[in-house]
Amino acid sequence: MTAARARLIDVAAGTAPLALIVTLWFALATFGLAPAALLPAPQTVLLRLCALLADAQFLSQCAVTLFRLFAGFALAAVLGITIGIAAAGSRAVGTALTPLVRVLAPLPKIALYPAFVLTLGFEHASKIALVVCDAVFPILLATYQGAMAVEPKLVWSARAAGVSHARCLFSVVLRAALPTVLTGCRISLIIACIVVFLAEMITSTDGLGHVLVRAARNFQTVDMFVPIIVISLLGLLLNAGFNMLRGRLLIGYPEES
Amino acid sequence: MAACIEIEQLSRSFDTAKRGTHLALSEISMAVEEGQFVAIVGPSGCGKSTLLYVVGGFVAPTTGRVRVVGKEVDGPGPDRGPVFQEFALFPWKTVLGNVSYGLIQRGVARREALARARALIELVHLDGYENFYPKELSGGMKQRVAIARTLAYGPRILLMDEPFGALDALTRTRLQNELLEIWERDRKTVMFVTHSVDEAVFLSDRVFVMSRSPGRIKCVIEIALPRPRRRTELLVNRRYQDYVVSIEREMDDPAEDIATHGG
Amino acid sequence: MAGDMQARIPSPPTSDLSGFGQLKATSLGKPRFARSEARALAARSLAPIPGLAPLLACLALLLAWDVAARLVAIDSLPSPWSVLNELPKLLSDREVLLNILDSLRRMATGFALAVLFSIPLGLSMGRSRLVAASCNPLMMVIYPVPKAALMPIIMLWLGVGEAAKILVIFLGVSLPVIYHSYQGARAVEEKMLWSAAAMGMEARTRLMRVVLPAALPEIMVGARTGLVLALITMVTSEMIARQSGIGNVLFNALDMAQYQPVYAAIVVIGMIGLLLDVAFEKLRGKLVSWAEPAFPIIAGST
Repeated sequence: MTAARARLIDVAAGTAPLALIVTLWFALATFGLAPAALLPAPQTVLLRLCALLADAQFLSQCAVTLFRLFAGFALAAVLGITIGIAAAGSRAVGTALTPLVRVLAPLPKIALYPAFVLTLGFEHASKIALVVCDAVFPILLATYQGAMAVEPKLVWSARAAGVSHARCLFSVVLRAALPTVLTGCRISLIIACIVVFLAEMITSTDGLGHVLVRAARNFQTVDMFVPIIVISLLGLLLNAGFNMLRGRLLIGYPEES
Repeated sequence: MAACIEIEQLSRSFDTAKRGTHLALSEISMAVEEGQFVAIVGPSGCGKSTLLYVVGGFVAPTTGRVRVVGKEVDGPGPDRGPVFQEFALFPWKTVLGNVSYGLIQRGVARREALARARALIELVHLDGYENFYPKELSGGMKQRVAIARTLAYGPRILLMDEPFGALDALTRTRLQNELLEIWERDRKTVMFVTHSVDEAVFLSDRVFVMSRSPGRIKCVIEIALPRPRRRTELLVNRRYQDYVVSIEREMDDPAEDIATHGG
Repeated sequence: MAGDMQARIPSPPTSDLSGFGQLKATSLGKPRFARSEARALAARSLAPIPGLAPLLACLALLLAWDVAARLVAIDSLPSPWSVLNELPKLLSDREVLLNILDSLRRMATGFALAVLFSIPLGLSMGRSRLVAASCNPLMMVIYPVPKAALMPIIMLWLGVGEAAKILVIFLGVSLPVIYHSYQGARAVEEKMLWSAAAMGMEARTRLMRVVLPAALPEIMVGARTGLVLALITMVTSEMIARQSGIGNVLFNALDMAQYQPVYAAIVVIGMIGLLLDVAFEKLRGKLVSWAEPAFPIIAGST
């Protein structure tokens, strides 16, 4: 089988289940097998999606969600990378932090959300705080593991050239660990996406999550589908965008298996 | 006058995960004069690389001390430049970036640093490859970049850890010749670790032979061959051959096997 | 003798010379010679005491909480000691216990169903290119959607009963387990399968008797991630659609502005998370002790 044919089969196989689901959905709606209140027709949902994407109010809600998402992610990245590098570069820091991370990592941080709401209010701060708590761990762990795996001779070469230990951590160790760090960042980005949406659903004041809950309360079924589709598209876009960025940042690095 | 490198009663042991403490180096004492090219040979695992790393300041001695030009070694520094078997080039930098790294870090103005780097790249016969990334280079080329990178910050001493061990035979001989050419220019002090006896004899003024682990210096052999050395001439030179044979005999001593592993 | 030094925990691919794998941390740090060696020795001597480090960590966290509470000095951030005081009161309340049991029961059901469904699917994806090609895009679309966010829609269809919550947990757990089973199955060495086929094993039997055990370490990683997600999904869905469960208990207290029980409920959820993690690690150790991971796998890195 030629490579082109194999790829064609891959694409066909990939789109088949999605196409099947959409067709099934269409059939169920059109032939009245499911009440419109429970399962609106796919074309209705699509039209509503397009309408809302042009609506300023809806877009402002999206903007709110995106702001929290990126603010939380950026903070988590700075914290995670700094702590991860510090833990790898100093044995004392590493030994002190390992049990802390082991204890904190398995805790469902979403359980802390009510505490954040109580102390930080219902606005951006509590949601950003939650995003940071959830997103920091994958980055921290990836940075630490990546940094510990850096070939010591790279560091030695730099130190012999006269570079101080602290500078080495960022100009050599972080650079060398960059592929692993970026993988952690990508995971964190998706987690941030998920978490911010959930937080907005739990305490509903604004944002995409709020749009969903409000639609549910008003029994607007079509409006319930739209935020979910939007967050899914957002996740895919962020993933693709991140991969592009990763390609640019990792010029020169050897390819991973 | 103090020798360039003085090693006094150096020992180094490691804690391994399973087998307790392992003694890698045992009471090593040696001195290297300024401008000498010395080779260190020994069987695999004898600790010769460890010795180099202690001199370089990358690994701490357990007991004993190392002095460079009278001053005790306390860590890595630009007076002792390493060249590693695995090249250890920065993959995210081009050839030019790698070679100019040390200069720029030390505060040399960018234009000056790049100019000096280019000169070095030409010295190692890699002109034209300035903008290549390490992954696009062959092993021999990578090692040339590594050598250029080390030379860039002008170390007094070169510490070379089996630098040609990962290369094929042809590239290896070519680089040996190039290394000697470069060395002849300013006669730095060189400590060259290798497990190839003919490489050691070809390149150096003195050869230190190390025993099996725990490593100690078994003997030192002065290489009284004239410079500049031509490989084609030496290969058929009787004295060269004698040196190689006698060193190999030292390394392959069965009595030592019995001594270390118990009769 | 040289061979001895190579036998240690598998390190990343460096030309490992005479125990340098052990010293990676030191080599990154400044070679402050004698002092760092002594410190390392001290750290190692404390290590054998099991559970000491996490205990100290918990203590450190409680102290930090205490400091924060004192600094901020508002009603809605009570001191940790008052919250710990509240714990026994909370846990002895019959209502609360029933809620907790409900939560755990739902989690267990959702998790079990997900595992039963996902492992075979993941394994077949790993061995059949066609299956993988058809399932991957679908999974990629579903992945960024928070499963708990599907609660309102699912509740619309399935009502407010158990089924909705169990379904959401099932969805949340399935994805990582499918993914890891897939990766694990893909990595199984062809030669093992050829030997099995030569011995007369059919395809389905091969899947269960060769691929499954070989892929088990990776599957366990997926299961652990799934467990974490099950807890998160359960708690979240209970916070969104409150009928019963620990999330519900928490929000009831929140509505009534009773701060101590809120934090106590958070602590309970945290403890459940920790206990599940510890229990799972023990199970994993028993099942796949023959495959040591290259790096310690810490939960939370979903």
